[in-house]
Formats: sequence, C-alpha cells, structure tokens
Amino acid sequence: METTITGTNALTYPHLHVWGWEVVIYLFLGGLAAGLLVMSAIANFSMRKPEEKDQAFCFKGPFFACLILVIGVFFIWLDLGRKFNFFWLYLSFEPLSPMSWGSWALAITIPISGLYGLSAVPDTYKGWLKFDILKKVSAKLNPFVRKLAVMNFGLGIFIGIYTGVLLSAFVARPLWNSSILPVLFLNSALSTGAALAIIMAKRTSVKLYFTKIDIWLIFSEIVIILLFFYGHYASAAAQRKSIIPFFSFNGDHILYGTAILMVAILLPLALVIEMFDVKDDIVHDLTKKQISRMKVSAAMVLAGGFIIRLAIVYAGQLSGLS
Amino acid sequence: MPKYAMVIDQRRCVACMACVVSCKQENDVPAEHFRTRVVENVAGEFPKLSMELRSELCNHCDNPPCVDNCPTGASYKKEDGTVQIDRDKCVGCKACVAACPYDARYMDPEKGFADKCTFCEHRIKEGKQPACVATCIGKSRIFGDLSNPESTVSKLLREHEASVLISEAGTRPRVFYIKG
Repeated sequence: METTITGTNALTYPHLHVWGWEVVIYLFLGGLAAGLLVMSAIANFSMRKPEEKDQAFCFKGPFFACLILVIGVFFIWLDLGRKFNFFWLYLSFEPLSPMSWGSWALAITIPISGLYGLSAVPDTYKGWLKFDILKKVSAKLNPFVRKLAVMNFGLGIFIGIYTGVLLSAFVARPLWNSSILPVLFLNSALSTGAALAIIMAKRTSVKLYFTKIDIWLIFSEIVIILLFFYGHYASAAAQRKSIIPFFSFNGDHILYGTAILMVAILLPLALVIEMFDVKDDIVHDLTKKQISRMKVSAAMVLAGGFIIRLAIVYAGQLSGLS
Repeated sequence: MPKYAMVIDQRRCVACMACVVSCKQENDVPAEHFRTRVVENVAGEFPKLSMELRSELCNHCDNPPCVDNCPTGASYKKEDGTVQIDRDKCVGCKACVAACPYDARYMDPEKGFADKCTFCEHRIKEGKQPACVATCIGKSRIFGDLSNPESTVSKLLREHEASVLISEAGTRPRVFYIKG
C-alpha cells in the first residue's frame, strides 16, 4: 500500500518524538534516588544495635538521594515547553494523571528525604553539618528516625514505580502499554539504588549486605525483562510490532538491538561478579582488588539501568496503534 | 446541552486539501503544523487499484486519554462533548501528545503549549460551522449535534454504517467515518 499524508506534524510523523535525553536522565536519576532511599531505609531497619560507623550510609544515602532528585527534577523541568508555568502542577491534583501524582510526590519526597538524612546523623558525624540550625534540627529529629525511614521507604517505592505507571498508561504507545513496565522500572530503581549503596558504603559488612540484596534484584530484573518482551510477543499485533526494533538489527534500529545486547551482557556479568564477591564469608577489610571488582559490578548495574530507560523511552515513541 | 460530533463521508472526499488550508488559516496554525490532515491510501497493482481518502483530526473522544494524562487539567472535556485546551494552564509536558492514539496534537513552537483542533469553538459559538466543514467542496465533512435526532449527523449515522478510527483503543471517538 502506498500512503500519502498531507498535513503531518513533525512531532508525530513518521513517529512520535516528544521526549528525549532530558526525560531519560530524569527517569534514571529518579529511579536511582528512589532505590537509594529504599536501601537507606532498609539499612536503618536492619540495624537494631548499630555501631555508629554503620550508620554512615543511613544518613548519607538520603542526602544523596535528595540531591539526585533535585538534579533529576531540573532535567525534567528542562523538558517542559513552558518552564515558568510549572507552578500549575501544584495548583491542582489530577487523580487520573500519573504525572500529577509524581509532581506532588517529588515535592514531598525531596524535603522528607533531607529530613530523614538529618534525623539519621549520629553524634560522631554531627560535625559534618556546617550550620548550627542543621545540628539543632538533626538533634530534634533523631527520635523520629525510624518513622522517617518508614516514610522514605514508602516514598522511594512510589517514586520508583510511578514513572513506569506513567508510561504504561499510554494506550497509544504499545511498547509502554504493559503492566510489567512499572514492575521493571521499580526493580531497576531498587537495583541501581543498591549498586550505588555498594559504591558509597565504606565498611565491608555494609558493602556485602547490599551486594547480597543486589544479586536478587539483578536476577529478578533479568526475569522481568524477559517477561516484558515475551508479554509483548504474545500480545496483539501492535504490541508485537513494538518490540521489533530491539531484535531487527537493521540500519534504523541497530541502536536498540545494541542496547538490548548491552543489557543482556551487563546485568548477567554484574550478577556473576557479585556472586563471587559474596562467595566466601568475608570478615576482614576488603582488598583493593575486591573493592574495585565490587565497584565495577555496581557500575555495570548503573549502566544497565540507564540503558534500559534510554531504550524504552526512545523505542516506545516508535510504536503506535495505527 | 449539545453533543457535537463530525461525520466524514469518505465517498464524497476528493482530497482537495481545502480543509487543511482553511483550518490553518482560520485558526492561525503555526507554520509546518496542522490541526487536520488528509491521508491517501492506494492499494493493489495497476490497473486494479483501490484508493481510500480519509481526513483526520482530533476525534474529541468521549474517553479522552489526553485529558486523563494531563497533570494540570489544561486539557479538559466540555459538556458539549468537545475536548479543549486551557493554554494558560499548559506546562508543555507533552503527555497529551504522547497519549493521543490519533497523533492529533502538536506543540506550539513559539509559545510551548499543546494545541489541536477545537471544532472551531469560536465559530460554533456564533452559530457557524467549523472552517473545514464550511469549506469542504464535496460536502464530505458534516458537523452537528448528536443530541438532536433531526440533525444531519444523527440522520447520517442512522442511515449508514459508520466506523471510527482505532476503536480498540477504547477512546470512543466522536468523529465517524462513512465508507459505503
């Protein structure tokens, strides 16, 4: 069939391209921050009688998460066509719009994560806080650290999953319109958060703790990715057509195929390396070689998380119902 | 309260593109952007060819995904059934553009808000037809009130079999196509 169309818009023809690198960076940073919040909350829950040194990640994690979220929000603000109209997002709440949920959730999570970080600062690290007001607030919030950890755990889960819900709500984009996508995004967020926790933590015990968590998260991420593609293959024609770019390796789609190959290499390799890291019960301080290996596997997980979001955002815009 | 809808009688379309031009002129649509378009599909092998001429525009759906996904309420459905945009509230997030299965929306390149066919709301208020309907030389586009059983659109939908675009999306469009 030969088709001629008079009156196409460049934004939607030959395919949609409304969201680019700014949105990809936000999705990655948002997921990373969400994962980091969850991991720092888990660290807090797991430490019943913490030595103060072990608490370091508990407060650094949320501070980093807060900073990462602020940077991520900057990138999503860059994407807006009317940047200085952003306040309209906070003059209403649209219950059917995941973007509205996320706007409000970010506005709540950023300050709460900062407060959590302040509440978790142990006495030996209070000198880290430059201003007296921060030290006072930290002391006042310290009795509430467990409650704030619970709040941040919930907010982290929400931030990690809502972006997947947002994309999956677009019936017009078959690649995104999958109920597995929010699960994939949440899993990836937790996995990248655990990977960053491995890099950030100074103590061997904390590094190994998050390595064990990350092993399970990477394993489940691989399974979810396979189910994501299978689900589309087993679905209607539009869904099946939407995954072709990942498996065609022709000129137009070579980058998507390359992305999926990279993920297929990075995640399993990171999994194997991390399994070696916890193979023996390590009680001594890690050697430089072991630390480097941990950081390499964690970096692979971070790269894999970024590539997944990059590929899904761009490939989703190639897909359509007509 | 009226329930506005459009019927496109594809038997009468000659793909003159007058609707595309008149819409652009009436609504001051920015250069290189369009609120309506004409699709020409030619199938088969010469000399056994078939041709479909189909004009497309915003379908002003009864279940509009663009409205659901708008985070500020800038996109909204009026009581008369048309889907409109409050430009003041639009932040330019482009969620509505991504949500539309019909690729009916665009972003104003200078001012950054989302925009689309309004069924010429300003003309309807004055009792006129949308610009594309008024200019159509083949009388292919018919606009009217579905709540009035004697309106042309109501009669056409009673007398002919009509279809909508991408019905599987569940959007319940208000633009109906008569092919035969």
